[in-house]
Amino acid sequence: MIRVLALLAALVAAVPAQAHKLKVFATAEGATIIGTAYFSGGDKARGVAGRVLLPDGTLAGEFRTGDDGGFRIEAVAHADHTISVDAGDGHVASMVVPAAELAASLPAGPTAPAVAAMPPATVAQVDLIEAAVARQIRPLREQLDGYEDKVRLHDILGGIGTIFGLFGVLAWVSAGKRRP
Amino acid sequence: MAHIPDGVLSWPVLAAGAAVTALGVARGLRGLDPARVPRVAVLSAVLFVASLVHFPAGLSSVHLLLNGLAGIILGWAVFPAMLVALLLQAVLFGFGGLVVLGVNTMNMALPGLAAGLVFRAAWRADRPRRAMLLGALAGGGGVLATALLVGAALALSGREFMVAARLVVLTHLPVMVVEAVFTAAVVSLLARVKPEMLESPP
Repeated sequence: MIRVLALLAALVAAVPAQAHKLKVFATAEGATIIGTAYFSGGDKARGVAGRVLLPDGTLAGEFRTGDDGGFRIEAVAHADHTISVDAGDGHVASMVVPAAELAASLPAGPTAPAVAAMPPATVAQVDLIEAAVARQIRPLREQLDGYEDKVRLHDILGGIGTIFGLFGVLAWVSAGKRRP
Repeated sequence: MAHIPDGVLSWPVLAAGAAVTALGVARGLRGLDPARVPRVAVLSAVLFVASLVHFPAGLSSVHLLLNGLAGIILGWAVFPAMLVALLLQAVLFGFGGLVVLGVNTMNMALPGLAAGLVFRAAWRADRPRRAMLLGALAGGGGVLATALLVGAALALSGREFMVAARLVVLTHLPVMVVEAVFTAAVVSLLARVKPEMLESPP
């Protein structure tokens, strides 16, 4: 009995928290894409496999999230990078890191918009500034992204109200039919 | 777990799930006595809320599915109740996709229906102990069957069944335990206080 309980406790301790929805958040810092995979509610998705695709469908890289759900990969071209993660149990998520966020010094991608010609020195400076700003606003964007999926009380109450309304209409219709 | 997002399953699986759910909903609504509609509404609201309430089990947190309990009380009407609950979860919270709604409803409602049938076949009003055992079986079995159906849906869409099923079943072991205890408690309470709730719905 104790052994069974211990086994159950171990299993309970080993499994990740229940979640409804996997999410991935990624931003570019210069030529590096940094992101996290997490479940709605905030739990990090550990050891989840992910891949990076370019707009023409070529695979730009594969990764596995770390213990904090984080990952970092080098962008290969100045083009939109689609990051998708797959937990293997039916949870998938994806997010696009647009070309505009990536460093201008990267080689042009397959469908990249024409980058305005700048002297190399300016390009390097702009990259530096953009990377610094991206780093600064990253926590804010991450918070905003997580906030979007928070379950709120008024949503729950609205849902319950809708359910009762729907079945009320059903009762009304079927009661009307029975009247002689 | 019953919240598979869009873009994971293949078309034949989606079509099959939608067909089963459509049949179940039609059957559930046709046999529904207007006097029982409020009960379906309440259970639908309970199903909707159940998966939003997380409570701790060890180091992780779990939420109940309650499909076994809903199946016992509602019979075939578990299909419309589940469809409405999952539809609102998808629309309001983005849990699960809209195209996969048929499959998600089937994965939850079919085990519930089976649990209800088993319960009514074996339940006797003069055996309170049995109601509790059957309730535990329906609760735990409902979760297990749903996990297996999710695994099967993923497998039929080109994923490896063993990998998907192991992941889904393993993550739901604590849910199974909690759900079995909870359903057993509710069912044995109903059997004592309000046995007509458990009797065969028309």
